[in-house]
Amino acid sequence: MTLKRQLLLVSLLALLLPWAGCEFIRETESALRTGQQQMLAGTARALASTMATRGNDYPPGLDPSIDSLAGEQHYIHALAKPPTIDGYFDDWLLSPDSLRSMRGADGPIQMAMGSYGRMLYLYVDVRDRNVVYATAQTMILDDGPRYADRVSLVSLDPPEPEVQFVFAAEAPGAIISYRKDAFGFEPEPGISARWQDGPLGYRLEAQIPRNLLGRNLGLIIGNTSSESQRATRSSSYSGPSPAPAVALSKSLNAAVAELVQPGMRIIITDASGWRIAAGGELSAATTTGSPENGWSNRIYDLLVEGGEDAESAEPDPSGREQQPYVSAATSGREMAGWFRGEQSGRAIVAVAAPVGNDGEVLGALIVQQGTDAILSLTNEGLARLINLTLIVTLLVAGALIGYASWLSRRIRRLSIAAEDALLNETLHAALPSALAVDEIGDLSRSFSNVLRQLGDYNAYLRSLASKLSHELRTPLAIVTSSLENLEHEDLNAASAGYTARAREGADRLRRILSAMSEASRVEELMEHGDPESFDLRAVLQSTVAAYRDVYKDRKFEFETSLAEAKVTGSPELLIQMLDKLADNAVDFSDSGDTIKLRLEAEGNHLLLAVTNPGPPLPEKMRTQLFDSMVSVRGGENTRHLGLGLYVARLIAEGHGGSISAENVEGGVSFVIQLPAQDSR
Amino acid sequence: MAKRIAIIEDEAAIRDNYAAAFKREGYNVDAFDAREPALNAFDSRLPDLVVIDVNLRDDIEGGFELCRELRARSADLPIIFLTARDSEFDAVSGLRLGADDYLTKDISLPHLMARIAALFRRLDAMQKPQAANSSIRRGDLAIDTERMTVHWRDQAVGLTLTEFWLVHVMARYPGHVKNRQQLMDAAQAVLDDNTITSHIKRIRRKFMAIDADFNAIETVYGMGYRWLSD
Repeated sequence: MTLKRQLLLVSLLALLLPWAGCEFIRETESALRTGQQQMLAGTARALASTMATRGNDYPPGLDPSIDSLAGEQHYIHALAKPPTIDGYFDDWLLSPDSLRSMRGADGPIQMAMGSYGRMLYLYVDVRDRNVVYATAQTMILDDGPRYADRVSLVSLDPPEPEVQFVFAAEAPGAIISYRKDAFGFEPEPGISARWQDGPLGYRLEAQIPRNLLGRNLGLIIGNTSSESQRATRSSSYSGPSPAPAVALSKSLNAAVAELVQPGMRIIITDASGWRIAAGGELSAATTTGSPENGWSNRIYDLLVEGGEDAESAEPDPSGREQQPYVSAATSGREMAGWFRGEQSGRAIVAVAAPVGNDGEVLGALIVQQGTDAILSLTNEGLARLINLTLIVTLLVAGALIGYASWLSRRIRRLSIAAEDALLNETLHAALPSALAVDEIGDLSRSFSNVLRQLGDYNAYLRSLASKLSHELRTPLAIVTSSLENLEHEDLNAASAGYTARAREGADRLRRILSAMSEASRVEELMEHGDPESFDLRAVLQSTVAAYRDVYKDRKFEFETSLAEAKVTGSPELLIQMLDKLADNAVDFSDSGDTIKLRLEAEGNHLLLAVTNPGPPLPEKMRTQLFDSMVSVRGGENTRHLGLGLYVARLIAEGHGGSISAENVEGGVSFVIQLPAQDSR
Repeated sequence: MAKRIAIIEDEAAIRDNYAAAFKREGYNVDAFDAREPALNAFDSRLPDLVVIDVNLRDDIEGGFELCRELRARSADLPIIFLTARDSEFDAVSGLRLGADDYLTKDISLPHLMARIAALFRRLDAMQKPQAANSSIRRGDLAIDTERMTVHWRDQAVGLTLTEFWLVHVMARYPGHVKNRQQLMDAAQAVLDDNTITSHIKRIRRKFMAIDADFNAIETVYGMGYRWLSD
């Protein structure tokens, strides 16, 4: 794993900071909400205890045994204006959800009750495949032998006996309703009703004076498919008699209207959750977030805990509040709710507190307050703090990641520079970060030191040969001059032989020493020589001709596509270099082999290749080959100290070029790259 | 009367060997191991030829210093540097101080003797009137083989002994390429490629000092050099 990746991984820890920031926001949000809820809960409790003193205003709770029947109670909606009795529900100005539904013989039956002033209004929508109108006879009797479709409103005011108001039509339009009780069956003139046929069945709308009705109300729908068919009865209650209907309590409503504060809504339900008082409106002021905070709003939106849909906090159109927190309150437990708008930024905090006396739950009091969806934003100081934290966190994370990559870049640059220095042998070159005072600076300086020592060592190795030859020259002079003197003495044949052999050895030694100091003489020549401009092609042609004379058992080929190859430098030295390469090529090839020389132009360079057939170079020697005293030969040939190719390299580099060796098909190719002279 | 050769060399073995060789050839030899004793001895009498090592023990450039002082005393005293220092720079320095030749210790005794003999011969020839038959003319070039002097367009070219021999061997047969071996034989020395290159360069430079357009010595790449005569 690279250092960069490691550092990147470590810098990922910086992401903990934004995470912590988010946690902080959540915590704050939650604390603020809890605070608001507690405040609201306080209000709710206070109001609940106030309301508990008005115990008489509460409808009596249902007998616990029929508690499960609470859903069968009818809710009498408070209407904003009296509807026209025309068989249509539109003018009730209630949501269609306010309609209560039950199963009928031919499909669902929907019904609603409402009150305005002293009147109760009834609306029933019955699915009926075949509407059977009543006759004078069937109007009164509904237990055979002939039947009609009819709607009966059952009213009861215990302990009074049950009364039914029967609605049946002889024809669509305004109809007369009948009151049916223990004493008989007679028209009820106080009721006005209208029967309206529709494609799926019929609708009935009726206006009934409240004083005709008792507290308990229920509906029975009789449906028959023909006059002779017995009617199927669908009842809105399952018990023997209907449960009390629930309506808004005027006195409680008035009390609530007094207590309610701006921006707050108070709802009171009875023990079954039926709404019996409501007041106040949630203010719209808090529902808008300021536009410039739009983006941060969205971010916070993602961060903070969502609540239930704000719509579900609205008073239930059916009249019965069934939110979990309300149910909790009706069973005696105070509970809070949190509702949040999808986009509006509006949210509602709600608390439901039980209203009760001595452990008896009379109902529930619900207090709702509109608020900003993101509470922490409403606190300007806090919002700024959070924004600042977020920005700082991002900056720190960015800075850490940036720092990590900067650090790794420095190290990489250092390592690349060190490798380059090693490769190009610019061992005294300054490395990056050398002046830095940190550990990387130390590393760079140590690197520089190591490289410099390596460079010094290499330079020492290079000069070793010439130094050695220089030192050995004087003792050699002693040996040769002594031998030469000795030759003038009277020697017997044996002594003369020994002397001759010693001379031979000394001579060989001299040649070796001369070869060893050749490199330094070449360097010297290049330093002091004046470069001249010449045609390398002509020089090569002449030189190759000379090689053909010298190495008679090799063939030499020279190819070039160039008519002229101008080079600046010393032709003598380049020939010397070529001599080394030719010598090398001859040594590694066999008698009769062809040694090829090729001169080509490539860009603004000239490439001179000397190729000989022979064994390939060992791969690991390829780069060392041109170093001082490196030889790939076996021990046999003592004439070679591995200085020839080093001299060749010195000359090539002295001309601003380079030399390289590569294995080619069946042989070895030495390639010299030389800068071509500008042909201007 | 036998010629007197002074040899100043700090290495006793070499000094003794050379002294023995000189004596065998019939020369009188004064051997010194440092600059001071040599100069003291020369105060009373100058030798006929001096062989100096550049590096005299701790006196690293002592040979050069000695050469300068001797040249100040006598303009025509033959001086030969015989040294282990083979750098081009040292050779140029030595010759600039007026030495007649700069030799490395690679040189064999016979070669050294040949040079010494040649230098004495030149010294003798200088004192005699110029002999008519000893001169070779090749265009602008005039070579006096007795006095071992070379003139280009009637101006003297100051060549060392080695350089003279190289010019001589090339100019004797103009147009013939002389290879390394031939040049070495003529110069009575063992010369490698680089040394020959340096010598030729120096010779050209000396001619060019007289005639900027001098181009009579041609390099035949890979073969050798030849004298071009028009």
